[in-house]
Amino acid sequence: MTAKEIKSLHPAVLKETAENLIASGGRMQMAYAWYPQPHRIELRYVASVGAQAPFAIWRCDANEPIPSLANTCPLLSWYEREITDLFGLKFLDQPQPGRLVLHEGVSLRQAPFDPDYPADLPLCVEPALQVVPELGGSDADVQLLPFGPVRADVFESAEFLFFYVGEAILHYQPRLFFKHRGMEKRFEGLEPARAVVLAERVSGIGSVAHALAYCQAVEAASNCIVPARARFLRVLLAEMERLYNHLHYFGHLCHTTTLKVAEAEGKLLEEQVKQLNTRLTGSRFLRSILAVGGLRRDLSPTSWLGTELASLQDRFLRYAEHMENTASHLDRLITTGKLDRRLAFDQGATGPVERASGIDRDLRRDHPYAAYTELPPMVATRENGDAHARAQVRMAEVNASIMLIQRVLDLLPDGAIHAVWKVAPGSEGLGWTESPRGTLFYAVHFDHHGKLARVKIKSPSFSNWRVFPYTVHDSNMMDYAINEASFGLTIAGCDR
Amino acid sequence: MPQWTLLGLLQGKQTAPWPLAKGTDGQEDFLGMPRYRPELCDNECKACADICPTKAITIRASSGASNRLDIDYGRCIVCQLCTEVCPTGAMTTSSDWAFGARSREDLIWKSGSTKNPATGGEMRRAFRRSLHIRHVDAGSCNGCESELQALNNPFYNLHRLGIFFTASPRFADLLLVTGPVTHAMLGPLRATYEAMAEPRWVLAVGTCAVSGGIAEGGYASGHGLSGVIPVDLYLPGCPPNPAAIIEALLMFLDRVPQRVNGGRLVE
Amino acid sequence: MSNELLTAAFLVWLAASLISLTGRGLILVRVLLFSGSAAAIVAAILALPEGTPPVTLPTRLAGAAVSFRIAPDGLWLLGFGLVPASLACWLATPARQGRAGWLFGAAMSLIGALGVFGIRDGAGFLIAYEIMSFGGATMILSEKLSADAGRPVLFMLGLLEVGAIALVVAVLLLAVAGHSFAFEAYGRAADNLATTTLAAVGLLLVIGFGAKLGLLPFYEWFPAAYGAGSGASGALISGVMLNAAYYCLSRGLLEWGPGQNAEIAAALGILVVAVAVLSAVLTALYAFQQDDWRTLLSFSSAENAAIAVAMLGAALIFRGHGMPDLAGLAWTVSLLHLGGHALAKGGLFLTADGVYRATGGYVISQTNLLRRSSWMFGLGALFAAMSLSAMPPQAGFVSEWYMFETFFQGFRLDTLSSRLVMALAGAGLALTVAIAFATYVKAFGLGLLGRSSRDFVPIQRSYGLAVSVLGFGVLALAVGMPIWLDSLQAAVSAEFGTQAASNMHDGLLLVPLTAKFAFISPTMLVVVMPLLSIVPVLLVMTNRRFAVRRVRVWYGGFDYDPSRASTTALTFSNALRTFYSFIYRPTEETTREANGAHYFVRRLVFSHDVAPIFGPYLFAPAIRTVIVLANKLKALQSGHLNFYLGLIGALLIIILALVLY
Repeated sequence: MTAKEIKSLHPAVLKETAENLIASGGRMQMAYAWYPQPHRIELRYVASVGAQAPFAIWRCDANEPIPSLANTCPLLSWYEREITDLFGLKFLDQPQPGRLVLHEGVSLRQAPFDPDYPADLPLCVEPALQVVPELGGSDADVQLLPFGPVRADVFESAEFLFFYVGEAILHYQPRLFFKHRGMEKRFEGLEPARAVVLAERVSGIGSVAHALAYCQAVEAASNCIVPARARFLRVLLAEMERLYNHLHYFGHLCHTTTLKVAEAEGKLLEEQVKQLNTRLTGSRFLRSILAVGGLRRDLSPTSWLGTELASLQDRFLRYAEHMENTASHLDRLITTGKLDRRLAFDQGATGPVERASGIDRDLRRDHPYAAYTELPPMVATRENGDAHARAQVRMAEVNASIMLIQRVLDLLPDGAIHAVWKVAPGSEGLGWTESPRGTLFYAVHFDHHGKLARVKIKSPSFSNWRVFPYTVHDSNMMDYAINEASFGLTIAGCDR
Repeated sequence: MPQWTLLGLLQGKQTAPWPLAKGTDGQEDFLGMPRYRPELCDNECKACADICPTKAITIRASSGASNRLDIDYGRCIVCQLCTEVCPTGAMTTSSDWAFGARSREDLIWKSGSTKNPATGGEMRRAFRRSLHIRHVDAGSCNGCESELQALNNPFYNLHRLGIFFTASPRFADLLLVTGPVTHAMLGPLRATYEAMAEPRWVLAVGTCAVSGGIAEGGYASGHGLSGVIPVDLYLPGCPPNPAAIIEALLMFLDRVPQRVNGGRLVE
Repeated sequence: MSNELLTAAFLVWLAASLISLTGRGLILVRVLLFSGSAAAIVAAILALPEGTPPVTLPTRLAGAAVSFRIAPDGLWLLGFGLVPASLACWLATPARQGRAGWLFGAAMSLIGALGVFGIRDGAGFLIAYEIMSFGGATMILSEKLSADAGRPVLFMLGLLEVGAIALVVAVLLLAVAGHSFAFEAYGRAADNLATTTLAAVGLLLVIGFGAKLGLLPFYEWFPAAYGAGSGASGALISGVMLNAAYYCLSRGLLEWGPGQNAEIAAALGILVVAVAVLSAVLTALYAFQQDDWRTLLSFSSAENAAIAVAMLGAALIFRGHGMPDLAGLAWTVSLLHLGGHALAKGGLFLTADGVYRATGGYVISQTNLLRRSSWMFGLGALFAAMSLSAMPPQAGFVSEWYMFETFFQGFRLDTLSSRLVMALAGAGLALTVAIAFATYVKAFGLGLLGRSSRDFVPIQRSYGLAVSVLGFGVLALAVGMPIWLDSLQAAVSAEFGTQAASNMHDGLLLVPLTAKFAFISPTMLVVVMPLLSIVPVLLVMTNRRFAVRRVRVWYGGFDYDPSRASTTALTFSNALRTFYSFIYRPTEETTREANGAHYFVRRLVFSHDVAPIFGPYLFAPAIRTVIVLANKLKALQSGHLNFYLGLIGALLIIILALVLY
């Protein structure tokens, strides 16, 4: 990414530019802030203008009040609130002002991303309830039913508040970011090569996607050409990650529809892939293998992985066929949690969720990276936008992933697995992957010593959590768990 | 519905015989904690201490030939970087994952320590065949949750060991915590511990919960469970694999002995 | 002795009503009303089991002497109705204004009720019945608890007058046939009337008294009227007045002719059972959906009245099939049920007033009141709620157990239709009882047990005392059931000529006439239940290894306001509302106000309701018709003198024509 691809915008024309973007079929991807110099905040907007075209990046100095773009482009609301929380920068006419990443109980004297914020100064957090919409009418009849942050079973921490009237859910408001660990700030000041282990631990079950997006961002900044074998193996790793995540998804989805054998089968298949991961890399989560410039060490999957995956595919096909023929399972999925195309677009749904609502986007095909140019994936879409459509998209992706891995194994070139690279001081880069849950972006900025000055992570769950509540309003409690499972959300990546 | 019953029956028993009988635990080729061989250590080298992202390895001021490194396995995130940079092979990869320890000191590398670690105490005897766990995610990366969820897959089948996860801390005997304890989760975590009936115990799972790990400190995170609630068992790992979690739980119940002592596995 | 006491009661109530009209000395009025009721209760106890000796009142109606006698079943119903009435009069309405008017209304309804129970003359009875209704309306109107109390009271009076007209017609038919207004003649009248006329009289009586008892469709005046008044009014209307209406219906159907003819009795019985069971199911369903103490309890009153009426119908069927023993059983059960119901319902209506005084409203929501109030109040309210939800060992359980045992005897009947209706009635009432159980779990669990972070004052001591008296009365009724049954024997003998009431117990065991089917014994249960609890209590006491540690309610790691986070009245009942949506036809509406794009919701406005069944299809068109007619006839009241003169002229011409031809 070079400076001339970046368009500088005055705050006054921001809204108009965003409207033009939407009108011309483009789509906003994310917004973030950073400090190019102390006391000077710069806003960045990243947008896609179409498949195969480079991402559009807008730069906007935040020296004067910035108008909120949330009404033009609703998905930006969370990004703006995040910037307000972490950078102390307020947006004009934000339609939903209020805390997001830092909770209501956090008392802030200084924004945590301010360069003057003392390192390791802990935030002061008092327990405080979340701000919810006001209730009118027969408000005493509405139960404000809370779940969490410590929820039943083994789940990630998040607090859900249901406006509940006995089975019916009037309104649903999740409060996330209990797990906000300040991961983006941890990158700052690190040598770019040493931050890969950090990226791997932003979201445990997205280790490859995160590390790969990070590596590609740094490689973009340093114009590094990754050797072919490493690129092919990166595809292999990314697709293995997709496999175990999607298999887990089916195990959990069947858990919510109380299909016990199917739950066991899904989780068993997930376990088998995790054990294949261990055999492949020594890590069940495919960690400690990616590096900027390629891979840390070579892998030798050709002799054994193909047969293992072939038998896994047979087993999965039978499993999927059974699921698609079980009326009780389908009854609970079809029409549940319907997400229409408009809502999916407006709020920025991503990955299998948006593809199930008829939006045909996949970064692997539209903005190929690693070896996806040589190995184009089959992208499945559905139109219905319900839980069943989301499951079907993932079902197709499992098959596509296995086929893609088989092709990697067939075509895997020999050669080096690592290239030398050097980051130019003050440069920046954008990296992305299509993770199992959707689009993942890493934007990296380097300081004048070539160290990381700012890393922004846009995880897919940040987008999908934004969308999900709109499918819960006016639905049933009985469908809630199924609906949530059908989105396949994770919280760690969203909270960071 | 019958096709599922048939599928289940045809699949046969999928559960690993381990730990009740000899057999696979599913962790072959797993890269565990790096093993330290002090006799190979180069006196002047500090590559491992430099590269370690969580400062688990520190150089002692007194640079004697042996024992010149302090290795805190409670801080290790198993990234294998030290094994890659070590020029002499003093830090090597290993499959050591059974790192559950009753005291934090047992996780710190010491030479020649062979003291037999203590058992859990009389009170736990009653829970040996029926233990109920409440899990709290205090800010983990979801890796630990993924492995905890794996415990109830047919391969590990935790239920057969009489160990269950429960929805409410009211019914729980053991609090299982993952994550470095973010400031936002500190209150709910304490409330969960407070809500448990006595006797109650705490198990820190994952390097984050033991010491804070990669997400230690900063503006949003704490330093694991130390100083938050009393911990009865530590299990580092990033994340610990399901077998390691099972082994730690059985160890907590005195059904298997503690294997780690002085930062190394005792067979 | 009993007649003297009743006279004293009448005079004291009369004095109270006169004093209350002055608007002063209201405490004296309350004392008078209470002591009059107490005297009447003592009279009832003294005169049971035979009934009061007949006396002739010192007045003549339509040229005939009026005799006064309260039969034993009347005494039973009057006595149990007066217990909550006396306490309600003592506590009086909690409304800030209109107390004098309320006390006057209460006195009127008590005087009216006494007349209804005792006067044995058609004309006198109708007058007393109207006084009673007038008293009830006066009570609710004077309280001004609702901004718009007039409309519901008018609706109530309108429906009651529909009933009253039916009664007038029935009484006239019987009086003409029996050549006298005296009730003794009405039984004989059966012989002179055609079968169809007799059946019509039966129907008219069901309509007439059904209006007050809340049989369908008349129960629809209940929620609005009760909801416009206080719990004290409810205690009177659902206690002594409801009992009076049931007594009249029972007397009318059994003694006045329709019940004397076997064929009509059987057919009428089937109709009565069907109507009553349908009413019970519908009112139970609607009671469950109420979020207001008074409307919930009012629907429940209609439900319990319907249960008693269903038993009356069963008695008619059995009598029609020549089974006096079973008829006696069914009829006795209805008396037991209404006795227990009056106590329990009175207790809960007074509880509602206590809640109103503590919280300022009648809404069923978390109040923490059980914890903050005295344990006597808590036990009293619990016993009352248990009885109404038919939980052992309370009176409601006894009577409803008998009720099912009676319906199980339906197989002894020889016609298919009666067997079928008995079986279906059993099923319908089972549903009713189940819903009633949920209803009182909701009322007691939410309204009293529910926790709240708001700090309400505890229930007043006087209310606590009154509720506990009634609650323990319910228990005493159940425990002493063998004794009370014997006191009803004379009434059963007089009505059916059998020993059914005495046969309903075998020593301390309660049995449905014979011990071969089933038995229960609340008397033994109250002894055994505490004994059974000794073992677990001891186990808990001796096995305490850890000190008791109190922690907050677990909400997932945060402290929430329990009154917002816990079950609301609607959350509790919405599942049933969805399941029976074909009856409720619920409406739910949520509007969202947003900032900017509709995604950013700022405020939610939620409303919900259930639709009445008869209102829109029966009452609303009727009301519309009346209004249209009134508009049309408005011309008659145009105010033009010439028009009036014209009218008079026309009338004169008509009269002239009539005289000439």
